[in-house]
Amino acid sequence: MNEVYLGQCAFALYVLIILGGGVLAVTAANLVRAMLGLVVALFGVAGLYLLLLAEFVALMQILIYVGAVTVLIFFAIMLTRAADGAEAEGPGERGIMRAIPAFLVPAGILVPFLAVYGATGFPTPKNVSPDQLGAGLLGPYTLAFELISVVLLAAMAGAVLLAFEKRRAA
Amino acid sequence: MNNPLVLYQVVAVLLLCLGLYALVARRTLIGMLIGVELMLNGAGLSIVAAAQLTPMDAVLGQLGALLVMGLAAAEATLVLAIVLVVSKRFGDAVSDGPSELKG
Repeated sequence: MNEVYLGQCAFALYVLIILGGGVLAVTAANLVRAMLGLVVALFGVAGLYLLLLAEFVALMQILIYVGAVTVLIFFAIMLTRAADGAEAEGPGERGIMRAIPAFLVPAGILVPFLAVYGATGFPTPKNVSPDQLGAGLLGPYTLAFELISVVLLAAMAGAVLLAFEKRRAA
Repeated sequence: MNNPLVLYQVVAVLLLCLGLYALVARRTLIGMLIGVELMLNGAGLSIVAAAQLTPMDAVLGQLGALLVMGLAAAEATLVLAIVLVVSKRFGDAVSDGPSELKG
């Protein structure tokens, strides 16, 4: 029984971390602060993955998102920033007015839907070891594995192509 | 509230809402990218929760979340290149800058 309470406390803590980080990420006027909020929210989601006993996914979340995607976003901020950092503006009044219905409509549809029709899950998650994941990647899900590598290669080549084309034209 | 699956999915909806808010409210392309990353995180969380807490194949769910992460990385790479091009051509990486056609 004690473990159940500990799990609920951990869940609440992670949700608070996600909420705080996410609100910082979407409202901060400074883009670097927004990115920091994104990092906090990503760590919170990694904690939820740990609670779901998906420890491999949690580690990949930290490795890929916090390690790679955030660094990419930081590069983008640093490469595009004007000399005085003038572009770091928060959302304007009109933007907020447009954004509130944009997120209230999906929330208003999905949350009551979940409350009424939400599937009843197991009380505790299943445990899958990383070697089962590897066997899945090399067994039934080989096509997805190969496709994502092709997608990553194409994205890398496309990024290089886009950046080089501009430099030649300039 | 003793149904953990619904709780996880509510958190995923929360991430979706935060991401949509950032996508619509932000003026800079990078702020919009941050919103998209939040939404993709919500999708991954929903997939993993649904796979871990139901009789579905858990391997499929975790690999699906890994696929979403790979797609997010590819998308962030491309958006970085696009942001670079836009900021060089228009001097600023805001979403209403590249709104005129070349003609």
